[in-house]
Amino acid sequence: MQEEELKNLREENERLKQTIATKAEMVSINVHQIRTLLSAIKWIIKMFLDGDLGKLTAEQEGLLRKAYEGNERMLGTASEMLLINKTENVVERPYVFVGVNVSDIIENSIFDFSGEAKIKSVEIIFLKPQAGLPQVRADQEKLRIVFQNLLENAVKYSNNNSKIFISAKIIENFLEVSVKDSGIGIVDGGKEKIFEKFYRGENAQKKEAVGSGIGLFTTRKIVEGHGGKIWFESVENEGTTFFFTIPIWEGK
Amino acid sequence: MSKKILIVEDDLFLQGLEATKLKKDGYDIMTAVNSDEVFKIVEGSSKPDLILLDLLLPGVDGFMILEKIRQNKDMLTVPVIVFSNLSEDKDVKRAQKLGISEFMVKSNFTLDELTKKIKDLIGA
Repeated sequence: MQEEELKNLREENERLKQTIATKAEMVSINVHQIRTLLSAIKWIIKMFLDGDLGKLTAEQEGLLRKAYEGNERMLGTASEMLLINKTENVVERPYVFVGVNVSDIIENSIFDFSGEAKIKSVEIIFLKPQAGLPQVRADQEKLRIVFQNLLENAVKYSNNNSKIFISAKIIENFLEVSVKDSGIGIVDGGKEKIFEKFYRGENAQKKEAVGSGIGLFTTRKIVEGHGGKIWFESVENEGTTFFFTIPIWEGK
Repeated sequence: MSKKILIVEDDLFLQGLEATKLKKDGYDIMTAVNSDEVFKIVEGSSKPDLILLDLLLPGVDGFMILEKIRQNKDMLTVPVIVFSNLSEDKDVKRAQKLGISEFMVKSNFTLDELTKKIKDLIGA
């Protein structure tokens, strides 16, 4: 009897996994389509605003600016949805630990955010030790998400014309990585909740309307999945430094 | 004589908008929705001065088109701007390796910014 129940549960589990995968694929296709059309709307409104189709009255211009801003927010939400969808897909897969070159991941992640950083005149600096960094024991795709989430937040909540520093040092069998920004910081009331799913600080919501509140939740889940720890030091209006540890690869 | 731009875009709604804007700015426009149409133009007598290339296309994708374009010795140096909704590092790097002038993510730019970039590359 027990064996049969187990078999049924396994089959049900497979069916559910299949359903989730199908849904994720559907979300991805549809949101891409939505984003494409929102881009087109953005272009059209901008053509009106630029006067390509004749001069606008002040009232027309004011309303079209609102339409443009609303559209930008929808684009932000669509991009966020795509990212969440992709992240969940990677996070839910079983961990595959190999020896991973952290410097490569850091450099790729910096490249990924160079566009956003440039817009805000934020400089991302990787303080790479001269001797290089040892390989870590990690699931490459998941570790990439950790860096992407931390850098995304650092850029998003940094003030214009500031710097972000990424550094790493060896502490016993772990590599301790830090990502330091001089942005809005985490409000006192939010410090215990920052890793909770869907939590977003009040000051964060004010600075950036679009955000899902799952980035740091996912980040902690992945770091702990590697046997590491994550924590932060933060002062409101001065900045935040996130630290995490990840085991050094010992060849197995 | 006006400069010629080849727009490779399978979404006719977007293609129409891009063409309208670029025509307004004084460019001659040729369009293609797939690889066959691209190579009919590229191998014909009226070659484009710049190619605006989408990546997600039915059948042969933008990366493969780009690779093949660069094998044509007349098209080795023609500027290519990738204009796509793909935005991941791996896509950007893959396109850069094949030789592009710019990688622009559709949702991050307006058509005005696109024409400015085109003007920088080939003039008005």
